[in-house]
Amino acid sequence: MPQHDPSSPAAVTAPTVTAGGGALTLEPAGAPRRRRRYTGTRTSPLQALLWLGPALALIVGVVIFPAYELVRAAFSRYSITGLRLGGAGGRNFDQVLHHPELGTVLLNTLVWVVSVVALTVLISLALAQFLTKDFAGRRFVRYAIIVPWAASLVITAKTFVLVYDYYYGTLNLVLTKLHVISTPIDFLGSDSWIMPSMVLVGVFVSIPFTAFVFVAGLNAIPHDVYEAARMDGASSWQVYRSVTLPLLRPALLVASVLNIIYVFNSFPIIWTLNDRNPGFGHDTTITFMYKLAFKSAEKDVGMSAAAGVFNVLLILVVVMAYLKVTSWREETA
Amino acid sequence: MSAAATTTGTTAYHSRPVSGWARNRRIVLPVVGALVALVFLAPYIVMLLNSLRPSSDVVQTPASLLPRHWQLSTYSDVLGDTRFLNWLKTSVLVACASTLIVVVVSIPAAYFTARFRFPGRTAFLLLVLVTQMFSPTSLVVGLYREFFSLNLVNTYLAIILTNAAFNLAFAVWILQGFFASIPKEVDEAANLDGCGRVATLLRIMLPLTLPGVVTAVVFTFIAAWNEYVVALTLMLDESKKPLTVGITSYVTGYEQHWDQLFAASVIAIVPVVVLFAAIEKHLVGGLTAGSVK
Amino acid sequence: MPRRLPLASVGAGVLALALAACGGGTGSDNAGGGSSAGTPAAGASSAGGSAKPTTIKLVAAEYSKDHTAAFWNDFATAYKAKTGNTLDVQVVSWDAIDQTSSTMIQNNNAPDILNLNVYASYAKDGLLYSADDVLSPDVKSDILPAFVKSGTFDGKMYGFPDLSSARAFFYNKDLFTKAGISAPPKTWDEFEADAKKIQALGSGTIGYAMPLGPEEAQGEFSIWAFNNGGDWKSDGKWTINSPANVETLTFMKKLATVDKVTQNNPAKTNRADAFNLFKSGKVGMIVGFSPLAADLDKDGKVNYGVAPMPTKSGEPQTFGVTDYLMAFKKSGNQDAVKAFYDLYYQKDQINTFIKAEGFLPVTTSGLQVFGSDPKLKVYLDTLPNVHLTPTDDPTWDKVKLAVQQNIGAGITGNPKSVLDQLQKTAENGG
Repeated sequence: MPQHDPSSPAAVTAPTVTAGGGALTLEPAGAPRRRRRYTGTRTSPLQALLWLGPALALIVGVVIFPAYELVRAAFSRYSITGLRLGGAGGRNFDQVLHHPELGTVLLNTLVWVVSVVALTVLISLALAQFLTKDFAGRRFVRYAIIVPWAASLVITAKTFVLVYDYYYGTLNLVLTKLHVISTPIDFLGSDSWIMPSMVLVGVFVSIPFTAFVFVAGLNAIPHDVYEAARMDGASSWQVYRSVTLPLLRPALLVASVLNIIYVFNSFPIIWTLNDRNPGFGHDTTITFMYKLAFKSAEKDVGMSAAAGVFNVLLILVVVMAYLKVTSWREETA
Repeated sequence: MSAAATTTGTTAYHSRPVSGWARNRRIVLPVVGALVALVFLAPYIVMLLNSLRPSSDVVQTPASLLPRHWQLSTYSDVLGDTRFLNWLKTSVLVACASTLIVVVVSIPAAYFTARFRFPGRTAFLLLVLVTQMFSPTSLVVGLYREFFSLNLVNTYLAIILTNAAFNLAFAVWILQGFFASIPKEVDEAANLDGCGRVATLLRIMLPLTLPGVVTAVVFTFIAAWNEYVVALTLMLDESKKPLTVGITSYVTGYEQHWDQLFAASVIAIVPVVVLFAAIEKHLVGGLTAGSVK
Repeated sequence: MPRRLPLASVGAGVLALALAACGGGTGSDNAGGGSSAGTPAAGASSAGGSAKPTTIKLVAAEYSKDHTAAFWNDFATAYKAKTGNTLDVQVVSWDAIDQTSSTMIQNNNAPDILNLNVYASYAKDGLLYSADDVLSPDVKSDILPAFVKSGTFDGKMYGFPDLSSARAFFYNKDLFTKAGISAPPKTWDEFEADAKKIQALGSGTIGYAMPLGPEEAQGEFSIWAFNNGGDWKSDGKWTINSPANVETLTFMKKLATVDKVTQNNPAKTNRADAFNLFKSGKVGMIVGFSPLAADLDKDGKVNYGVAPMPTKSGEPQTFGVTDYLMAFKKSGNQDAVKAFYDLYYQKDQINTFIKAEGFLPVTTSGLQVFGSDPKLKVYLDTLPNVHLTPTDDPTWDKVKLAVQQNIGAGITGNPKSVLDQLQKTAENGG
């Protein structure tokens, strides 16, 4: 990700528009930002089809159609072998809703998404501030932060399995050598450690993208805004709270929404780190769905498809609710 | 990790020179930077060290940070393994092709929705937003069914299309915003000057949204590079598996080649990191000209 | 400049520059939409159009990275040469093969031959050829009776064994000497005492490595249960919570939690991890099989011995496992499938495969081929009488998964209630 990259999702650039235009106040940029609402040229649907056609074809063909198949599967009855035995009505949905472990799985999902996203955003905010400072070796630090992003999740997860291991794990080795602990911790096998261990990896791999979105957001804030604030005698913290954060809001929104979606849908980390733990005790809804189809005693594709439908609805509701609460519509419309 | 990051944060807030701080920051910032880098590199250092020792030394108790026996030959083993090279080839091909498709498809869509109003515009944007929330993991059964009926199971095209489709939303989303933020006067002027719509897009708008394009490229590339579940299901031919799938066969319930797993991982990470670095340089060189530091 | 996308500040300069770019007119415009990625969309290779050769598809499980694909590719060549038919080989990792096969069947796209560790559910769904359809009498009569039995569902044989393994008791001779133990234990009491002695050696030494994690928990429990006179099923009835089995799980729990002679967290240790511990020389005893022996020999670090399993009920029982090659009924593939088995069960094919993978034979002729290897004697002697899990019952396919996911809970919780629950699962048909 480029150094001065306003890479940032679109919205990040929006505040610049007004801020740069000289509307300098310490007020949250909300009000003056009252968007220059874009009124595009009217055009015919036929023209639109020409320009949007390829994108539509791809989305409908490769996302919507399989989604339709998923729903169909959710209403079908399958043998353990995968053979379709007939229609199932709502039975699969019913079974998912009455699954004895559903509560645990939902709670795990909540803990997983909230803690990974919250920690990622907080740490990335701090990190982004740091990365916009000028210091020797900054380029190197930025490269280093890129690595977890560039490494595939499967690879990173496998590496962490070894880092966390009770017997061969580097983490236990280091902590023991530093006399932080006297006996090794079973990071992956202990019921109380597994979730924090997974969250750590989740945060670790989510930070790079998030931090770079924030770096871009920070770079988009003009210097004169700060100058003005300081002339008014604001303290660093005040400046941060009343200038930086509000102007960073679009970037925050983008980063948190995308993180919510990706963290919720994240599969390899939990799948890999949790593989030694039996049952559903530490699964999220995504791995729950996968296990229902292929690994658990249910081994039922129909039930898994029903869980898949719930997954999509759940994330849809969560994201919509989040956008509503943060009044996103104004930002994009 | 969080400790280091927190420190960073606190120091970062003090952007005003405080007495003594100006002098100290020359030392403190690089030191903190080094710590941050160490935190993010640590697992990969472990990976590197584990790739340099025999498999039996990786899973030896008591653990040791440094190899007890150094072994470089794993790298030549892995690089001489045609299976590994095939996986690598697939991953590069799939990631590049998916990215290309995403760029080619998303730019016109994003430009058009940003510039024009037409019936169904909102519906399209909503559709994009919704597809962003689907994960291929949920849809793998439907994907298989579709590609099977198209006789595309076991082809690169199937995975390429899947990766392209699932990353399209993000690209459209970003680029749409970028296009929207370019003043309309720009393309109006272009139009007056005789540029057609396509030319306006290619010659004028695109260069201005280059950072957005780069973001979309990077994002798609990484997502395609990372994709696991769909490839696992759709690619059964040994020679056509991508790295993410192939690499798991180094360590299974029956046999464990930790050394090869980690050597392969190191080799797989290098090109992506290089790509990132290259893009950063390119951008820094080409686009920082006007930035006020 | 990239720090803010230009609004007014884009400035005339950029604009002028951009417009200049258009000066050339529209002729050179290229929409760029047409350059889709041309990728090879090679479908399954079809046989080259001569008389009526068939192409059949094999989905095989990957036993080892180096040997499995290599063997099947050579086999496909031989098959082509002999029959003119094409064998489309797809090797899939064990982690993924359940998903792969299930997805294929969901889409009415079953392979012709599938290699898996279960078969009965597939037979029950009416998807498979029986031995009557596709096995020559010579081939069938060569298969060891124990495996014929385990491959028979509802009176017909559907599960054709590809290879087998038998578990044996491995012990670390050096640790035994250190702990002053002269011979491997024969009874559970001796075993427990020996485990304690080894554990007492300290510095991270482990008496017995017990993998009850989800990967292969049913195997570890089977070994102990069989050697206590227990079983999963007897006389056609599920006996998962029989007194003998409850006693067995209680004993295993005691080893882990009272005697504390096992590795950390046995309920969450997968087999491969337990093997690693043994290979690092820290473990006194473990239940292993021939691939473990091969690894130990290769590393040459651990001085180990192999012995019969300690028993509580008299004759030591050997737990055996076999995987299956099953054939899917599809129109027009019967002859090609039959030719596949005719070739696979030839001595020089099947035994080459088994030898390369480090497993044990499944045929009488194979026993003779392998009999010359003294290292394998301890396994081969037991092979005709190995004790298998009830793979001939489709319910087992689900019960096995339930056992893998749940039996470890017996170590931390109440063994009886865990087994009761599993019994209930089995009685409800999975």
